[in-house]
Amino acid sequence: MIPLAGVLPNSTEVVTALNDETNIVGNASPKEISLFIVSLVVAYVLGLAIAHYLKLKLSHRLKPDQLTLLTRVIRVILILIAFGATVPGLLDLSFTILTLIFVGIIAIIGISSQKVISNMVGGLALLYEHPFASGDFISTGDVSGTVVSTRLFSVLVRTTSGVSVQIPNDQIYSSDVSNYHANVARRYEYVVGIRYKDDVKKAIEIIYGLLEDYTFVLKNPSPNVFVSDIDADSVRVMFRIWFPSVWADTKDDISFQTEILPRVKAALEAAGIEMPYAHREILFADPDLRFPELRAGQQ
Amino acid sequence: MFGRYDRGFSYTDPEVNLQIDKTTTLPEYRRECGGMVVTKHLAADYDAIHIHPVEPVNLPQEITHHLEISFPPIVLPPSTKKKIFLTFPVEIGVFFEIHKEMNILDIFSLVPTKFSLYGLPSTGIITRWYRSGIFSDIPATDLHREGVLELTLINSSATTADVSRAVFDSYGMQLFYGDRVSMTATMEIMSPLIASTTFTGLPPNGCPNRSIDLYAARKFAIGPRKSFFMESGMA
Repeated sequence: MIPLAGVLPNSTEVVTALNDETNIVGNASPKEISLFIVSLVVAYVLGLAIAHYLKLKLSHRLKPDQLTLLTRVIRVILILIAFGATVPGLLDLSFTILTLIFVGIIAIIGISSQKVISNMVGGLALLYEHPFASGDFISTGDVSGTVVSTRLFSVLVRTTSGVSVQIPNDQIYSSDVSNYHANVARRYEYVVGIRYKDDVKKAIEIIYGLLEDYTFVLKNPSPNVFVSDIDADSVRVMFRIWFPSVWADTKDDISFQTEILPRVKAALEAAGIEMPYAHREILFADPDLRFPELRAGQQ
Repeated sequence: MFGRYDRGFSYTDPEVNLQIDKTTTLPEYRRECGGMVVTKHLAADYDAIHIHPVEPVNLPQEITHHLEISFPPIVLPPSTKKKIFLTFPVEIGVFFEIHKEMNILDIFSLVPTKFSLYGLPSTGIITRWYRSGIFSDIPATDLHREGVLELTLINSSATTADVSRAVFDSYGMQLFYGDRVSMTATMEIMSPLIASTTFTGLPPNGCPNRSIDLYAARKFAIGPRKSFFMESGMA
């Protein structure tokens, strides 16, 4: 047997140990190995049970990412305790076994290191910079959705269509990420077109009054309603409002559209203000040029 | 409306109808208010029903726990102290008591809700916003709609302060009811941009009954917060 601590073994001892097939599992008894495995399993199961209990008791008091962090820390501590309590008995493992384990780990890291390490580094950077948390609505690249969890190698996002997308950390870290929940308030703007003949001032008053009465449109900063453009078909009235980010169903801003836009349309129409269809009025400089085919027929 | 109701529970006024029907399989709570009907079934038998005014930051959904009261500007010279009366919106909580433990059953209000932003979008907070007048004496209010806040303004700074809003943390609110719904607070101005608001917890005259704290009934793992620091100005 080669001691693991103390004086390093000389080459003769190593060769002897490697040739000694009966020494392949060192002095670690089957009982110690079993105890080690059982301890890890117990710690793992206990960690799951504690995580479940904490989820039941604290899910309404903590944010999902805080709860996840807490349960992970507890589970890691339990695993470390199990490891620390049983591994001294295993330290008697043979040099052969340890060498094989070491070579195996090095081989795995060597094969998959590039992507794994870059993802891990990306994950650590995300943990440090914390650009979003679980429950935030983000968009990055072609993916928009709610962050389910941030892991060491990837971020899990649930899209608006209910699909789970796993995005590698290095990809997310090197891309533009928009977080719709990072600030407590968000601004939204929308444009409605009204006819030329409609009273613009009245339309602005109606829209402003409606936005003022709406619960989730913030009082401060107050809504802006103004003529943003006069185009070929209509006078464009833009309104900008701020609302609490936590209220907003940022999934395509559907809350805003379903809650406020129908009210704006109904209120304007009730006041006789209409949103026009696109139309064209063609004027001829020379009246004689009108309907040449008709005139030719008459002649 | 406010108070304790034993066993058979029913309350009716022109605006609100509350009752618990015990003839159904499970006791059915029913609220009719503002053209809306809400029904809930109680899975356990209760000892009593309590109706109290609660911290006005719960409706229509929990978005904030801060209340902002906006009022006409007040100019406060340095080292002065002035007591004013403001109004705030009332939200009504229905609790059921089981073995002396209070549990929230329903919250409703007769007052429309409005939210606002105090500070910047990146660092500020969302508040439940309410516009109040300034009164030198206790104003007459409909106790189901508005409460009275006795606010003592203290300007501890060396400059004149313009004050037109006060922000409070609901975790420190202590509501009382009786002739009216009321609470008492102080607002200490430390600089033109910073002030602290604190609920004193003293029962105002005519309001001897203490309301149930909502965060206590919900068994939140938080205690009452003493003060809230307004760091984004008072005007």
